[in-house]
Amino acid sequence: MSQNYILELKDIAKVYDNGVVANKGISIGFREGEIHAIVGENGAGKSTLMKIIFGLEKPTSGSIVWNGEEMHFQSPLDSIAAGIGMVHQHFMLIPSFTVLQNIVLGDEPTKFSFVQKKESRKKASELAKQYNFDLSMDEPVKNLSVGMKQKVEILKLLYKGAKVLILDEPTAVLTPQETEQLFAELKKFKESGHTIIFISHKLNEVKEISDRISVIRKGQLISTHNTEDVRLEEISELMIGRKVEYLYDDIKSEHTSRKEAVKIEHVTYKSNGIPLLNDVSLTLKTGQITGVVGVEGNGQSELVEVLFGYKKPESGSVLVNGKNIIGKKIKDIREEAKVSYIPEDRMHQGIAATASIKENMISSFYDAEQFNHKFYMNQKAINTVSDELIEEFQVVCQSGETEIGSLSGGNIQKVVVAREYYADPDFLIAEQPTRGVDVGSASFIHTKLIELRNRNKAILLLSADLGEALAVSDHLLVMYEGEIVAYFTDMKALTEQELGLYMLGIKKMDKQEIWRKMHEEA
Amino acid sequence: MKKLSQKTKSEIIQIVSAIVIALVITLIVLFLTSKEPIVAFTKLVTSPLKNMRYFGNVIELTVPLAFAGISASLLFRSGLFNMGGEGIFYISGIVATVVATMDISNSFVHSALVILAASVFGGLIACISGYFKAKYNANELVTSLMLNTILFGVGFYILKSKLKDMAVTGVASAPFAETAKLKTIIPKTHVTTGFLLLIVVTAVIFFIYKKTKLGYTIKMTGINKDFAKYSGMSFFSLTMIVHFMSGAIAGMGSSVHLMSMYERFTWSALPGYGFDGCLVAMLGKNHPIGAFAAAFFLSYLRTGSDIMARSTDVPVEMVAIVEMVLVLLITADFITKRIKRKKAATGGTGNE
Repeated sequence: MSQNYILELKDIAKVYDNGVVANKGISIGFREGEIHAIVGENGAGKSTLMKIIFGLEKPTSGSIVWNGEEMHFQSPLDSIAAGIGMVHQHFMLIPSFTVLQNIVLGDEPTKFSFVQKKESRKKASELAKQYNFDLSMDEPVKNLSVGMKQKVEILKLLYKGAKVLILDEPTAVLTPQETEQLFAELKKFKESGHTIIFISHKLNEVKEISDRISVIRKGQLISTHNTEDVRLEEISELMIGRKVEYLYDDIKSEHTSRKEAVKIEHVTYKSNGIPLLNDVSLTLKTGQITGVVGVEGNGQSELVEVLFGYKKPESGSVLVNGKNIIGKKIKDIREEAKVSYIPEDRMHQGIAATASIKENMISSFYDAEQFNHKFYMNQKAINTVSDELIEEFQVVCQSGETEIGSLSGGNIQKVVVAREYYADPDFLIAEQPTRGVDVGSASFIHTKLIELRNRNKAILLLSADLGEALAVSDHLLVMYEGEIVAYFTDMKALTEQELGLYMLGIKKMDKQEIWRKMHEEA
Repeated sequence: MKKLSQKTKSEIIQIVSAIVIALVITLIVLFLTSKEPIVAFTKLVTSPLKNMRYFGNVIELTVPLAFAGISASLLFRSGLFNMGGEGIFYISGIVATVVATMDISNSFVHSALVILAASVFGGLIACISGYFKAKYNANELVTSLMLNTILFGVGFYILKSKLKDMAVTGVASAPFAETAKLKTIIPKTHVTTGFLLLIVVTAVIFFIYKKTKLGYTIKMTGINKDFAKYSGMSFFSLTMIVHFMSGAIAGMGSSVHLMSMYERFTWSALPGYGFDGCLVAMLGKNHPIGAFAAAFFLSYLRTGSDIMARSTDVPVEMVAIVEMVLVLLITADFITKRIKRKKAATGGTGNE
C-alpha cells in the first residue's frame, strides 16, 4: 500500500536520559487531507510522539519523512517552516496582544524592516473569512473565551502556512457547543487539503471526527484502523490491553460491621465555569478500600483536592467521621478529621527532596506532642520512629540521615506511605500510590493499604493501573467528566475491558443504580 | 565537631575553592595593574593580622555584616528573596538615634532600650513586605526594594527635620548619650559588647535551625513550599514570623553598629549593609555560622584592601573584583549541579 503520505514516521524510538522508553518502533503514515486520531492511555507515549513530530524532542532513532524527504527538526522553528503546526493543550498566546498581533507574531510581513500592518491584516482576515472564523482582529486575546483562543491558535498556524495541524486534546477545555464548532472547522480544513492529527482520550469524539485511528500502548503502535471499520469497544480493548495481576484476597479480613466514614454529598466544583466535579455524592465505609478509576482529567484530582482542603467546592458537603471538612485548613483536616494523603506527585508534593529521610518521615505530624519538648524537637523520638519505619517499610538506604532525593522512586514512595500510615488515619487518600514504582515495592505498598483496611479504616484509592484498582479495591467506581458513572461491588465479576467502556464514556449507569449499589451492602 | 554530612562537606569544599580561585584571580589582576603585585597581595592577605588595631577593624566590620547576613539568611532559607535589610538598617538606625539621644541614667538600661527599640521597629517594618507576600503573594523582592527607598526617604526626612544638630555643619544628629553607647571589650578598638551579642544571636539562630519546630518549618518551606503546605504548615504565619525575626536582627545590627562605632547618626545615604548581608548570606549558605564566617572573611578582605590601598598603588576598589568573583562562583552553584546531572544522564543512556 504505497500511499502518498504527506508525513511519515519510520520506526521512531525515544529513550529518555533516565532510561524511560517513551516510544518504540513507531511507524505511522499520515495522508494528505485526513483526520488521523491518535489514542492511548495516559503515559502511553502520545505526547512524546507529537513532540518529536513538532521538533520539541529529538527521536533516539528512526526518521521523519515529510513530502518524501527525510527531515531532522532541531526545534519547532524548523517544523513550522516545513509546514507542521501544533495547538498545545495550554495555549501559547500573549494575553495583552490583540488577535491580529498574536496571529502574525514572529512572521510579520516587512518592507525595509518596517512591519506592514495592512498587509498582515488583509492576509489574516482573508484566512479567517475562508474558514468562517468569527474573530474580531483588534480584541486583546485576554478578553476571549477558551474556544476563541483556540481559534486564534489555529489561525496562527494557518497564517504560517501549516499543512499539518497537530491538536493535543483540543476538546478537553471546550464546552460541548464549542466542540461541535471545532469539529465543523476541522472538517473544513480537511476539505481544503490539510492533514489533522487529533489526539484524544474521548473515543466517541474520535469516532465522530476521524478518518483513521492509531492506537498506542506502552510506547508502541498497536494498530492503525479505518474509523468506519472498527467499533469503539475494540479500540478501548486495544488501548487498555492486559496488565500485571495482583492477588490479595487471602490477606483481606472479613468485616461484619462497616460504618459510614466519609460522606460526600452533592459536591460541585467549577473552574472557569466548567464543572470539573458535577454533583458528586459518595459514601465511603470503614474497613473498605474504594477504588476510583477514570481517564485522567475527569475529576479525580479535583475530588482529592476537595477532600484534602486544597479546593473549596461551589456547593455540597463533605463529612469525615461526622466532622465537616470544607473550608478547613489542611492542618485541621490532618489532625482533627484524621485524614492522611499519599499524593500523586511525590517529588513535588510528597517530599522535600534535599532534606533527610528522617525529616521527611515526620513531616505530617511534626507538631505532635510525641516529637516535641517545650522549646525544641525531641530528636530521640524522631530518630526512633524514623528508624522503626525505615525497617518496617524496608526502605533501602544508608541511614535516616541520607538525603531522600538520592533514593530510588520506589524507596521514596515507601517513605511517603510509611509516614501517612504512621499518622494512623481514619481516612486515607492514596493517589497513584504505586505509579513508577517497581513491582516488589508496589505489592508491598498494597499490603500496607490492606493492613489499614483490615484495621477498619476507610481508604480511597485512585489508580491509573486498572489491574491494581481491581486487585486492591473492595468497591470500585468510575469517573467520567466530573461525575461518578459506574459503581461496582464485585471485583471478581469485573473485567478491565468493561471498565474501559465506562472510562471512555461509552457506557453509563444511572444515578439510582449507583446509589443503590453504594448503599446496598450492610 | 561531630562528623559532617556529605552535603556540608561538599559545600565547604565549594566555598573554599571559590575563595582560592577568587584570590588567584586577584593576584593575576594585581600582576597586570600594579608595579608591586607581590607586596600588594601580601598586604591584602596578611596586614589585618599585623596588629590588634587592624584586627579590631576586622571585627568591627564583621558585626554589622554578620547581623545583616543572618537577617538575610533567615529569609533565603525560607525560600523568600527579600532584600529589605538595607532600608531597615537605615530606619532602625534613626529609631536607635532617637532613643540614644534621650536622657536615661542607667547605662545598661539605656543601651538595652536602644537595641530593643531598633529591633522591634525593624521587625515590624519587615512585616510590611511579609504581609503582602503572605496575604497577596506580592513579590517580596519588589516590595522590599521599594520599601528600601521609602524608608530611606522617611528616615532622612526625620533626620533633617527633627534630629539634626544645628550646631554642626553637615547632616548629623545630636551626639549619642554616653550611657547609650556599648562598652568596649578590646581596648583601643571599637570592638564592643555588641560583638558578644552577635555571638549570642548566631547561637540562638543556630539552635532554632537545628532543634526547633520553627527551624524545621523554615527548612521544609524553603526546600519545597508545596510540600510544607501538604504537611499542614501555614505559609502565612511562617512568612510573618520569619520576616519579623529577620527585620529584628537587621534592626539590632544597625543599632549595635551605631552604638559601637559612631558618635552621632550621620548616614545621608543607605549604608549598604543590607545588600552586603545578602552577599554574606549567600556565601554562608544561609547558615548562621556560615554567615558569621562569611562576614568575618569579607570584613577581613575589606580591611586588608583598605590597608593595601593606603600603602601601595592599588586602589581599594580592587576588593570589589574579589567579591564579585566570589559571588559568581558561589551563585554558579547550579552550573556544577547541571554538569553533574548531564553526566548522570549520559551515563544513563549508555546503559540502555
